[in-house]
Amino acid sequence: MRPLTDEETKAMFEKLSKYIGENIKLLVDRPDGTYCFRLHHDRVYYMSEKILKLATNFSRDKLISVGTCFGKFTKTQKFRLHITALDFLAPYAKFKVWVKPGAEQSFLYGNHVLKSGLGRITENTMQYQGVVVYSMADVPLGFGVAAKTTQECRRVDPLSIVVFHQADVGEFIRNEDTLT
Amino acid sequence: MRRLYVGGLSHAVTQKELKDRFGKFGDVVDVELRTRRDEEGVPYKTFGYINISISDADLKRCLTVLNKSKWKGGTLQIETAKESFLHRLAQERQAAADPDLQQTAADDGKQNLLDSLSKAGINNFTMKAAVPGTEVPGHKDWVVSKFGRVLPVLQLRCQKGNKARMLKYDPSKYSHNIRKLDRDDADRSTPVSQLTWQVEGGDDDISRKRRGEFPSYEPRRPKKSRPLGADTCKAPDRKRSEQKNSSDLIQSKRFSIGPTRTDAQGDLDSDEEICRLMAAQDSSHHALQQEAEESPLEVVGLEYSVKSGRKGKETPEAPVRCLSDCDVFVDEKTLIPGDEDEYDSADTDELIASRRNLSPLSNERSKGRSQPGEEKVKAVLPLQTLSFKEDSGLEKKRTKTRVLPVLQHGDEEEEEEEESAGSSSDSEYEAMFSNVTRLELSLADLQRLAEEDSQAAGILGSEGDPALAAGPSEQPAPKKGTSPEEILAAILEDSDDDRPRKRKKRKGVTLPPLPAFQGTRSLQETDDLLRREEEEGGGDQMDSRTTETEGQEGEKNGALSQSPVASESSSSSEEDEEERTTETPAAEALLPSQIFSDEGSGEAAPPTLRRKLNAEEEEELQRKANLRRLSALQQRQKKVEEQKKLIQGALANLDAPPPKAGKRIVFDSDDEEENPSQTASSIIQSVEEAAGTRAVANQRAAKDKFSAPQLFDSSEDEDGAEEEENRFDLRPQFEGQAGQKLMALQYRFGTDERFRMDERFLEEEEPDGEAESGLAVEDEALEEEKKKNLSILQNLLGSSKQPSSRTPSKAAKFRDVSTLHYDPSREEHTAFETKTIQTTESKAARRKKREEAQKLPEVSSDIFYEVSGDLKAVFGQTKEELSEAEEENNWDQEEEEEDGGEEEELQTSLLPDDPITTKEESSGFKFSFFGVDGETSSRETTEYKVENIQAPKVSWQQDPRFHDSSSDEEPESQSREAKAEEPPSTMDLFFFYPGDSRLKDGPTLFCRSGQLEEQREDWEERRTMLRRVSSLYLSHVSPHDRVLSGHCY
Repeated sequence: MRPLTDEETKAMFEKLSKYIGENIKLLVDRPDGTYCFRLHHDRVYYMSEKILKLATNFSRDKLISVGTCFGKFTKTQKFRLHITALDFLAPYAKFKVWVKPGAEQSFLYGNHVLKSGLGRITENTMQYQGVVVYSMADVPLGFGVAAKTTQECRRVDPLSIVVFHQADVGEFIRNEDTLT
Repeated sequence: MRRLYVGGLSHAVTQKELKDRFGKFGDVVDVELRTRRDEEGVPYKTFGYINISISDADLKRCLTVLNKSKWKGGTLQIETAKESFLHRLAQERQAAADPDLQQTAADDGKQNLLDSLSKAGINNFTMKAAVPGTEVPGHKDWVVSKFGRVLPVLQLRCQKGNKARMLKYDPSKYSHNIRKLDRDDADRSTPVSQLTWQVEGGDDDISRKRRGEFPSYEPRRPKKSRPLGADTCKAPDRKRSEQKNSSDLIQSKRFSIGPTRTDAQGDLDSDEEICRLMAAQDSSHHALQQEAEESPLEVVGLEYSVKSGRKGKETPEAPVRCLSDCDVFVDEKTLIPGDEDEYDSADTDELIASRRNLSPLSNERSKGRSQPGEEKVKAVLPLQTLSFKEDSGLEKKRTKTRVLPVLQHGDEEEEEEEESAGSSSDSEYEAMFSNVTRLELSLADLQRLAEEDSQAAGILGSEGDPALAAGPSEQPAPKKGTSPEEILAAILEDSDDDRPRKRKKRKGVTLPPLPAFQGTRSLQETDDLLRREEEEGGGDQMDSRTTETEGQEGEKNGALSQSPVASESSSSSEEDEEERTTETPAAEALLPSQIFSDEGSGEAAPPTLRRKLNAEEEEELQRKANLRRLSALQQRQKKVEEQKKLIQGALANLDAPPPKAGKRIVFDSDDEEENPSQTASSIIQSVEEAAGTRAVANQRAAKDKFSAPQLFDSSEDEDGAEEEENRFDLRPQFEGQAGQKLMALQYRFGTDERFRMDERFLEEEEPDGEAESGLAVEDEALEEEKKKNLSILQNLLGSSKQPSSRTPSKAAKFRDVSTLHYDPSREEHTAFETKTIQTTESKAARRKKREEAQKLPEVSSDIFYEVSGDLKAVFGQTKEELSEAEEENNWDQEEEEEDGGEEEELQTSLLPDDPITTKEESSGFKFSFFGVDGETSSRETTEYKVENIQAPKVSWQQDPRFHDSSSDEEPESQSREAKAEEPPSTMDLFFFYPGDSRLKDGPTLFCRSGQLEEQREDWEERRTMLRRVSSLYLSHVSPHDRVLSGHCY
């Protein structure tokens, strides 16, 4: 477990900023304590310093997970967000998409959000903007990437994709073994 | 009769016009105009139907003429229309109304048939002597059947499956079995089996039907409609569709009445079916509609807030909130037990205070019941309760309860004291003292007790009943208070303001606690009081002591059955109390004991000497045995009492702070309001009581004088002294950084003895500090990391925001850039302002400013004055405000006076003009001064040029703008002269005046001044000279340069 290098931090922040913009600052600079990002087994964990200190008691190979896993670095050193980061993305998300109840399940099974399932969308969403997907009851379901702008979403036919699926809470079940 | 459709009419067309238009071609029977309007009622289409009786030729003509012709802004489009359905309907109805016509027609046909048949030799449909099966001649579809009967051949349409076939039914073939009933000798009907033809057998429907077995009637249509219903069910909103069916029924019925009625009769079995069909259509339609309705997206703004509670938890503030809540919760939990067992924190104080308010009595009782073993608790609680009782001006029961705990405590200590008295070992005493220290806080309470005791002694010496004693207890407090009060009133009227406050607090129903340092102040005051008391108090301490002790004994015995040696216990406890009282001030760094002793001695006797003396006296007392000692103790008690009385106010203040901390505002307000009345009442009481008990008070006061020093002397003088020293030793703990910390901590609790800070805290703190320092290193690392992260983030986002400090408010606030507004009142936002004036100042301007500053001493005021004169004139003309004009007049006057010759110079140098012209120029200058820089600069330049003198450095001239412009112009002034002069010229009024000398001189410039020859010569000379100069210059420039320059250009 080690702190992230600058490149890694940059990559991760770039990715995160697609979803929560400058609100990353709120994650880094928290009023309720010192929180930090740590790299462990190619995964980035977000934890408070207290837990960090506790975690130092364990050897690297024995330590499976600390704090909250935000995502992992691929072999090509790209950062990929995991669904476990949703708890920190949802409250700060700048662009949101709400799916209709009928489309919830589809999304939770890993499918993209179609126009027919799109219940509500934040205005001025740009194409390929990271969005957090909510149910109509405002329960965060996952996140993805807007395939169309808000304006385009009005016009496209019902079967076209408006949000590309990236992660959904269904992964907690589907990928239970790999999620840490 | 034709019906024509006429489209493309303008909206203004009337029926009459239309009728006239078409009237040429035929007889217009009826005109029907329709206008389509949109939702706002604006017509967008107008058309009409015309019923016209017209011949075909005329119709053709009409079409060719009028079709696609323009009429009133519209292009006519004429078509033949179907008959109006109303018309048709009417016709149908009429037709149905008279079926006779049809019948007649049918009758005609029948008759014709009969006629034709009869012609063929057939009468009454029988043809005699005809073989069955032969055709009737002339009638193809008539066949002769059995018995010569003529029957028609039927063409039946048979629909089997999808194919429609025509069946030819030849009745002759099926007539074998026909019999004539009127023939009697009827031949037996041949059994079916013997018939020559066979009815095909089989179980299929047809054969069965042939046999005459028809299945029970089942309407076929309903079967078909069922699948339709299923289709409707498929629609997502089945219920709705079903619901709508009912409503649709009506619609469909309505429809069915009209044009489709015939169809319905023909094709559909019933209205129900129609309804169903319609419903199906509708439902499907609705389903589509719903989809359409759902399809529109809801687009929300960026600020759209997710309502789920989950979000709230996750927001940055939320954790803080939760944490704080948790803290509070924990505090409360811890505090609640703490309330009973330990009082550790200020919070507990608050809580306790609140609780006390709620149930002071219960507390007291519990304390009274509480066992001696829990000294701490008891001590603390009674104190609180006491203070409360005092405040609330409470009565007998409370006093009793008060007495009880303290007395108990005293008992315990008393034992110790006895032991200590026996052994008089320091250690024991110290142990005792440690116990005492905890009780120190209770000074006020102790005082009360002492007061009660003293009361008992003074007034109720005879009283054995605790109840009775309690009754008077109310009085004693005021009484005791009175003695000092009186003294104070007599001697110190200055401190009156503070005293009433104290008293209020004493009685203090709900008294506002005062800040800690006020308490100290009050302490000082109390000290003063003590001094005075001492002064008053004569020398006879012993008597009063003895009397008091007796009284106390009696009272205590009556009151406390628990205490075996009530008197001793009380005395001992009081001793302790005294010590405590002295200590408490010490804790406050005021060292009241010292002060007290010093002041008490008053005469300049050093405290140490006095102490020794006291010690000696004490030894004597000891010799006199217990009584003596007790008396001494009682003396102390009395002293304590007095001290208490004196200090009560202060202590009340001090004790009060914890309760007040919680509810400061309420208390303050109450305090101020109640102050006058309470103080007055208290004073009155005190005065009355004082009058009655003055003697006692005096005695007490006398004792008090000496008692203060005696405190330490009385029973264990040495011990006391040592302790005192120890106390002083303790103080160093407040030295140094840690000491300061302790001090700060202590200050937080004021003089609250319960929370006195000693070395333990210090020691505890140090390791903490180390640990913190150790942690600090890690924290620094984390901080660095955080900073790094933030810097990276900044780079990423391109935002120039500084990494927020740790202040939660900053960090917690999320500021949306899109909602950023410029707030002129905020300093940070000055960054958004565009600075116009200051930035425009060029370096040159600054430089010139500097130069001007340097030139300051040289300044001559000439120019300025001239200008002002002009200003005056200008203003007079423009009718500016009088005040300004007046001011300017002043200027002008001065200027004019001073200017004198310089004006002339100006005039002569440039413009051979009058002062007026100069004024004009100056007016230009003036304008520049008030107007735009550009203008001013140009005009100013002219002036400067003229004078060749720097602009005067008058105070007003230091206006930056002015500096800039003037300074800028200086070098360029020559070039701009012409420009500068132009503007005035445009203003005729200003520039010229009747008899202007320029007008005279000007024309002379046009005329040749000298001879042409001379001028020519001059010119030649000049030219040669110039040539020379130019050649010289060229020779200086190297050819290379010239080439280069040539290239360049």
